[in-house]
Amino acid sequence: MDLKLEGISPELEAELKRNVFTTTLDQVKAWARSNSLWPMTFGLACCAIEMMGTGAAHYDLDRFGSFFRASPRQSDVMIVAGTVTKKMGPLLRRLYDQMPEPKWVIAMGSCATAGGPYVKSYAVIKGVDQIVPVDVYIPGCPPNPAALIYGINKLQEKIRYEARTGQGVTQQ
Amino acid sequence: MKGLIKGMGVTLKTMTQKKVTHHYPDEPLPLPDRFRGIQHFDPEKCIVCNQCARVCPTDCLTLTGRKHPDPSKRGKIIDTYDINFEICILCDLCTEVCPTEAIVMTNHFEMAAYSRDDLFKNMEWLHDNNRHIRKENNLNAKGVK
Repeated sequence: MDLKLEGISPELEAELKRNVFTTTLDQVKAWARSNSLWPMTFGLACCAIEMMGTGAAHYDLDRFGSFFRASPRQSDVMIVAGTVTKKMGPLLRRLYDQMPEPKWVIAMGSCATAGGPYVKSYAVIKGVDQIVPVDVYIPGCPPNPAALIYGINKLQEKIRYEARTGQGVTQQ
Repeated sequence: MKGLIKGMGVTLKTMTQKKVTHHYPDEPLPLPDRFRGIQHFDPEKCIVCNQCARVCPTDCLTLTGRKHPDPSKRGKIIDTYDINFEICILCDLCTEVCPTEAIVMTNHFEMAAYSRDDLFKNMEWLHDNNRHIRKENNLNAKGVK
């Protein structure tokens, strides 16, 4: 598309710079996506109580455009809140596969990150990153609602950063 | 009709009450002193007694020490002190057993990371984590007058 920006007068150029702002489509998409992260309610243990508390009046997750959805088909982000047993692992993978792209995963709490207090158990998956790709890890047992909000803000930052720079947030 | 009046009654009653929502990312969240947050560690106080590593229920805490460089002094000094926050459950047991209050709890909870490697914290990081230490322990922490 030719905008013929060479032939315009300096006054008009100054006017344009003041009144028109340009961006890339990727950044607009990332801005829209990061401000409407709909998490799937994937509560498995005590972290789910804190996750519910985050959605309630005192912390109010709706402020960040996050509304809990009961179906994987309608959600963008899966907050794995709690201990994932080996029996639950394939189901977690199936629910992740049912989510539409783009999708993200937050591992909330020590159990979902690395097994936590069940790190020596034979029945617990030592970190959900063994079955799904995880974007943000939140430590704590359980993390308090503010820590979950911090993690969600960190995920929003990651989505915008990746659209802005075209590269991942972790150093390879 | 009766239900509508009842509902409007609740609305009118709560409309004038104070709002309960914390504006957390914009304003810092005040937490009580008993909150179990990420530990602060003071290497000068540590006597390498290994009690914290022994009591840790998930064995996320590792430490090494060496003999005091001054031969006239007894005891040990700390060399490395690492906490793996992937599996640390912030149970407060390490700070309970510490005889010299070298490791203490803070109100700091913001540690979400993009990578599991970032959750492994060493002695320097734990020493620099000196914000919001519990008041009864906040006597000689780094950077505190």
